[in-house]
Amino acid sequence: MKFLTTNFLKCPVKTCDTSNDNFPLQYNGEKCQLIQDESIEFNPEFLLNILDRIDWAAIIIVARDLGNKSLPPTKPSFSPELSDDDLIVLRDLHTLLLQTSIVDGEMKCKNCGHIYFIKNSIPNLLLPPHLA
Amino acid sequence: MLPTPYTKFDYDKVYEPSEDSFLLLDCLESELKFLDEKLKGKLSVVCEIGPGSGIVTTFMIQNSIPSLNSSIYLAVDINPWALESTIDTAARNNCKGRYLDTIQCNLTDSLKANEVDLLVFNPPYVPAEEVPQIPESKGEIDNWLDLALLGGKDGMVITNKVLENLDSILSSNGVAYILFCARNKPEVITAEMKKTGNWKIELVETRKAGWEVLSVYRFERQH
Repeated sequence: MKFLTTNFLKCPVKTCDTSNDNFPLQYNGEKCQLIQDESIEFNPEFLLNILDRIDWAAIIIVARDLGNKSLPPTKPSFSPELSDDDLIVLRDLHTLLLQTSIVDGEMKCKNCGHIYFIKNSIPNLLLPPHLA
Repeated sequence: MLPTPYTKFDYDKVYEPSEDSFLLLDCLESELKFLDEKLKGKLSVVCEIGPGSGIVTTFMIQNSIPSLNSSIYLAVDINPWALESTIDTAARNNCKGRYLDTIQCNLTDSLKANEVDLLVFNPPYVPAEEVPQIPESKGEIDNWLDLALLGGKDGMVITNKVLENLDSILSSNGVAYILFCARNKPEVITAEMKKTGNWKIELVETRKAGWEVLSVYRFERQH
């Protein structure tokens, strides 16, 4: 599961929807095994579209869960003419958001505490029958 | 005509691409212009519920639907075999290097609200006594396949769950393509939704497939 996908996953337990703690899920940095997959090519326009859309606060939280404390507190913004420095920032974000994958690991809901697992890069958010 | 993805998987475990799958592909092809105009210039979160073999998601990736270099694809299925097959089908069709993640969950229950820009759903639409139980283990192969087909009363039990949640699934500009068979009574359901909700719904494709009549409807918000 790519890092960016964490920006779209919440706890599936219905009663957690009324809390503010079901997103982002809390990733267990000790259990999460990360890989770099370089198959997606760098495309500044794609990155800008992604940045425009994402919940930056959630990106910071998940990055910190996974041991990356280097992100700026506010979402980077860019002028229409990208400078070399802008491209460096975008490349770093490309590496984090699109090339970093969690292959195996676990995450939990900060509201209900339920733990979900990631195996072979596939997160499993199916609930056991008593929670579904 | 756009190429159809090549698929090869164990069709005892996942739904084999059939008339309904191909109708969805044709529907998406006929909607290329509409989708490009509606969604271009921004990131599109594309979600297929129940990808089965992965043919539809792969088709969208291959043909840059809704638009080139601005889409991420999330395929959600409760069937673990379907997720494996979706990854396999994407890989067989040179989709490496594109953004695809597969997620095991029930419908869109684990997706943050109002994030999906393009939703595609070929549901278990066959009327049946009841919706099968979710198997406890990956090994109960027959039961996984039943789950891909049987939709309970009027074949609508699962589709109704998605329709009831559509307002919280789709982004403000989101669009959904959902497949029905005639026994689902889609004209009654869509008329009711138009009456009670703020929906613009259009029949995009319809086709006779053996003894079934299949159709795909497009759902978007009235603005």
